[in-house]
This record gives sequence, C-alpha cells and structure tokens, in this order.
Amino acid sequence: MKEEREIIEEAVSPLKEAGAKAPELKGIPTGIKGLDELFFTTKMTKKGVKKVPLGGIPQYAVMNLTGISDTGKSLIVEQFAITQAKLDIPTAFITVETPAAFLAAALKNRAQAMNIDYNTIENNIIIIDAASYRSLREELPTLLDTLAYAIKQYHIKATVIDSVTGLFEAKEMMARSIVRSLFNFMKKWYQTALFVSQKRSGHEELTAEAAGGYAVSHIVDGAMVLSKKIINSSYDERLYKKPIGEIVRLFRIDGCRMCGHDTDTHIMEITETGLVKIGPSLKALRG
Amino acid sequence: MPVITPQEIKTQDIDALAVRVFLKSLEMIGGPRKLILYRNLTWIPSLLEAAYSVVLANEYLKTESEIAEFLGLTRQTVRNILRADPELVMKKLEGELKEKDLKAHTAGGLAKLAYQEIKEGRDHLTIFADLVIQSSEALGITWPIEVLRRLKGIDFPVTKEVLLKKLEGIKIQDKSMEELLEKLNYPIKSPAHLLKEIRINLENA
Repeated sequence: MKEEREIIEEAVSPLKEAGAKAPELKGIPTGIKGLDELFFTTKMTKKGVKKVPLGGIPQYAVMNLTGISDTGKSLIVEQFAITQAKLDIPTAFITVETPAAFLAAALKNRAQAMNIDYNTIENNIIIIDAASYRSLREELPTLLDTLAYAIKQYHIKATVIDSVTGLFEAKEMMARSIVRSLFNFMKKWYQTALFVSQKRSGHEELTAEAAGGYAVSHIVDGAMVLSKKIINSSYDERLYKKPIGEIVRLFRIDGCRMCGHDTDTHIMEITETGLVKIGPSLKALRG
Repeated sequence: MPVITPQEIKTQDIDALAVRVFLKSLEMIGGPRKLILYRNLTWIPSLLEAAYSVVLANEYLKTESEIAEFLGLTRQTVRNILRADPELVMKKLEGELKEKDLKAHTAGGLAKLAYQEIKEGRDHLTIFADLVIQSSEALGITWPIEVLRRLKGIDFPVTKEVLLKKLEGIKIQDKSMEELLEKLNYPIKSPAHLLKEIRINLENA
C-alpha cells in the first residue's frame, strides 16, 4: 500500500487539445412555443458581435426545470420528449412519480394536443419506470446501469427525469451527490437532459435556490424556474391584465453556462389542452 | 412505447463489491494469518460491517441512518466508520492489532483504503490471481497463469524495471516478455491492468 501522492497527468491538457474534442454549440428544439428563442449564441459580423437565437436548449446541456407543484414542469418535459421523438431522436423518459402505463396515457394526450401522430413517436420514447421499481428509485447504480443499457440498446440521445427529487425523497442531504452522479453520467453519455426538480413552497418564488435540494442548481448547466401567482391586487390586475382571483404562471431562465440566454421573467401559459407556451416578458407586458 | 422490463433492469450486486472490499482490507492488515497470530479473529465481523458501510455510502449514496438500519448498527457507529481517517489508521495499525476489539474508526479507515484500492483496480492479489488462473486453465490460455504466479508479493503501481526483473524469460506467442514490456503504457496500476496491456499488444502485433 503506497501513500504517495499521485499526479493525474491525463487531467491536464492545453485548451487547444481540449477544444478539438469540444461539441458544436447547437440548439435542440423543445417543442415549447416561445422557449427556443430565449437561448442565444453570438456571431462575428463586420458591424461587431451579433446575438443569434440558438433555436432550442443547447445540445448536451443538462438543465434543471424547477418549480412548486402545478406549475407545468411535467407538461414541459412531456412536450420535450414528444418533440425529440418526432424528430426521430430516441429519448429516455425516467418516470419516478407516475407508473409507465399512466405516463403513456399522458404522452398520448399530449401528442394529440400537439397534433402529432402518436404512432410516429411511440417507438422513440423509451420509458424507465422507476415509479414501479423500487431498486431503480433507491439504488443509483442500478438506475445508471439500466439507463446505460437503454442508451446502448436504443441509441438514446436525450433523457428526461421526472423527477430527480423522487430519487432523494426523505434524504435531501444526499441531493447534491445524487444530482452530481446523474450530471456526470449524462455528460459521459453525451445526453441532452432535462431534470424536473420539485421546489418547496416555502422557498422564494422564481429563484433556483434550494431547487430540489441544497445547491443542486449549481451542479447542472442551467436552470429554468417556474412559478405561479394569484392576482390579488389592482396593481397585479393592471400588470398582468387578468382579473382578480386568477392565476398567472411565470417563467425565467435562471442561468445557462453553455450559451447566452434571455434574463427576463416571462408569462407562461398552460392551454386548456394542456400545452405550455412561453409568452411575453413582464417588461414587454408593462409597456 | 418501449418500457424497460424487469429483466432488463441491471441490478448491481452490493454483496460482491462489499466482499471484495472486505478481502482487500484483510489483505492490507497482513491477511487472515495475522489475525490468527494475534488471536483476534473477532475483528472479522467489524471489518465486514465497515466494508458494507463504505460500499453503501459511496456506491449507493445511502444515508448513515439507512446503513445503520441495514447492518443493525447504531448511527453513531456508522458515522465513526464513514468519518475514519485512513492515513491515521495505517500509522496506528501495528499497535491496534494487539487489541481484541476493533474500533469502528479503525475498521472504517481500513475499509475506506481498501475501497479506494478496489476502485483503482487493485483487488486482493492472491484471490484475483487464483480466479484468473482457474479461468485461464478453463479457457486454455496459459500465459496469464505464469505472469500472475511471478507477480506474487509485488506492490502496484509497478514500473517497467520491476516487471522486467520479475517476468524475465517468459515467452508469449513467440514474443519475449522483454519485447512486450517495452510497448506497455506505464505505470501499470494493477495486475488486471497488466494483463489487459499485454493482451492489447499481442492483438496489435
């Protein structure tokens, strides 16, 4: 047994060498109206640097989607999975809350609302039912090995987990370790991933703080924060242009280390058919 | 819509890894014979508990309470195991070996070191060599048997010079070991790493 310190030479590399392996910055369409235009890249022009929409979330990004209950997190990831499947991108859907059969029913409804033929997508969404199988929910190595198997078997390129919070129920002190393991796994397997993270109602609205655990949002590439608000004053009525007693939903990108993004708070709408749309920013609404 | 079936769920074997960690920690204290010599085989249950604790905490991200419940220990004992300082344990080991009861932090320190060794590919060498020798005989590949027999007693990672001395004279598929050792990537971290490097070089020859 040697107690000598070891130099990890492989961990040191010049930027040029690492850059040669860098993935291309490309947008992955989410299927959420109004969202894809909120991520940007830049382009050098004769007039200077120009902001160019990315057309989706960055490829290979691992994003947290966080909010309290009934803010539309599951709807967003379902729309995302259906959109990927429609684009012929095999997508893993790790369901921690809803058993597979019920998730399939929800996806069928969602596809109908999106005017997408269910038969064209059903083979491209691969469900890993952690809601029904305790070992997948409670033993992280089992979940990761099963996901690795599914990625190889079905050539999966995108992964959704609804929700990561379900993987550390009653042990939030492990949240960072669990999310770190999941994040590293997604990077190793070149996945574009969305993690649904449930936020406690006691936490401040529209912040990623404590989203699904202590400092979890620091680990992932970015966070999208959802919230809702009841109109309970004339000021709110004037600002949100909604009558008193109604609910408005809000959306904000809390950060993305892979590309530029819109920083405003936007109105978010869930239509009667259950589709999520990102609306104007509050700044634009106020005029 | 494809749903991953129960047969496709890749359940990991906690026991296998915990036993590997246990055997490695036993090897690190000098093997079972050393425990027999000091008449303290009572250490064995504590070493096994520590091995399970370290595996459950590091691989399965289990909390202290969950580990305590699984092993039937108190939470404080699990905490002592998981918070043990491995370096300190190795320094105090000779003295500790004369004690009848193994302290939780000593067992924990040993298990943590053993887990780290396993993760770096250095299993209990005698057991590893024995299993590879049996498999090699079954598959009719004889060179790993000779290589592993000669490696007994050496510490890993190992340099080219040590290997040249230990494996002198062996021939594999008409290639001398000296010729093969020239082409390997050093340092060799474990016996498994050495066998893999030799195999790759034979395939590329």
